[in-house]
Amino acid sequence: MAERIKQEFPEKKEEQGNPFYPYHLLKEVSWAFLMIGFVLALVAFFPPELGSKADPLNTPAHIKPEWYFLSVYQFLKIVPRTVGILLQVIGVLILVLIPFIDRIKERNPLRRPVFTAVSAIILLIMIVFAIWGHFS
Amino acid sequence: MIPEDKGLWSRFTRWAHQSLNLTEIADWFFTFTGLLYGELDRRLDLREAIPKALKKPVPKHINWLFCFGGTTFLFFLIQLVTGILLTLYYRPAPEAAYESVRHITNDVAFGWLVRGVHRWSATLMIIFVMLHMLRVFFMGAYKPPRELNWLVGTGLFMITLVFGFTGYLLPWDQLAYWATTVGTEMAGAVPVLGKFLLLIMRGGADVGGETLTRFFSAHCIILPIAIFFLLGFHFVILRRQGISGPM
Repeated sequence: MAERIKQEFPEKKEEQGNPFYPYHLLKEVSWAFLMIGFVLALVAFFPPELGSKADPLNTPAHIKPEWYFLSVYQFLKIVPRTVGILLQVIGVLILVLIPFIDRIKERNPLRRPVFTAVSAIILLIMIVFAIWGHFS
Repeated sequence: MIPEDKGLWSRFTRWAHQSLNLTEIADWFFTFTGLLYGELDRRLDLREAIPKALKKPVPKHINWLFCFGGTTFLFFLIQLVTGILLTLYYRPAPEAAYESVRHITNDVAFGWLVRGVHRWSATLMIIFVMLHMLRVFFMGAYKPPRELNWLVGTGLFMITLVFGFTGYLLPWDQLAYWATTVGTEMAGAVPVLGKFLLLIMRGGADVGGETLTRFFSAHCIILPIAIFFLLGFHFVILRRQGISGPM
């Protein structure tokens, strides 16, 4: 970090470790190959499906969004739509503006337990909603 | 007199030497380094810059939790390459889209692989961008002076989700069509702006050909340009401020 930024925003002193090349790069490239192998294995064992061609006149019985929209989808199913959408928009706004809402200096999650607990509970609720949405 | 070695290894090295033309490769390599450390170096002063950038020490407190962002970028690169390959055969029209995806999967050489990798790597990109975001969130790495990079990051997260949403329609099968119908309906429920949003997204009253071309354009032109600039910004800020310090 540039000296002037460091002065204005002091951080705990960090110890410098090994240089990026070759120590860290070796790890990163190994990890990249592992991930590429993982993707290839997924494609080999679980190739993506292609259903029947889209038919605007024929609505299938179970329509569900992709897994990453499932919690939103389930939430909108159980609360009135307009209220649900408004709450979602507020939730996203809070997430985006969190650096300006959370003004605590402490960074360690264990030394700011209220913030950590509240966020963890919200996260848990979202996961539960996603699972609920998947099985409903 | 030493008899000519007819062993497997010497045969292999002779074959490698002849067919790969190692001297040519060595020649090329030295020309390249000569260019880098000779002609280009004289003009751009690279001799010190490259090692300095590469040998930058990595802070000691970095552990495996810090790999999520980089892994997301790896999957982004995979998406870029496989996505470009898919556009070579994909046709964004309601009469042709489904058949072209079927053609890619069944007939085109390695088409099944490219499509499969694009699909799975998309899922993994979303998983890793979420993990990256959770790491930054719970470690409080968004705190000053890194607020701006959090804002850019949330933008990148949303772009990734919209990539997923628009890409889902493109195969034009039943699931894609009806998931998009329901998805755009939800956007239509937004108070005040809803009707306008719905019309902009669908390009008509229902999901149809106009929706498909809109989603294709967003997926292959608008979003890639947006993510390119935001990613660049994300990395420049990261490099300038360094990785967040120990807690």
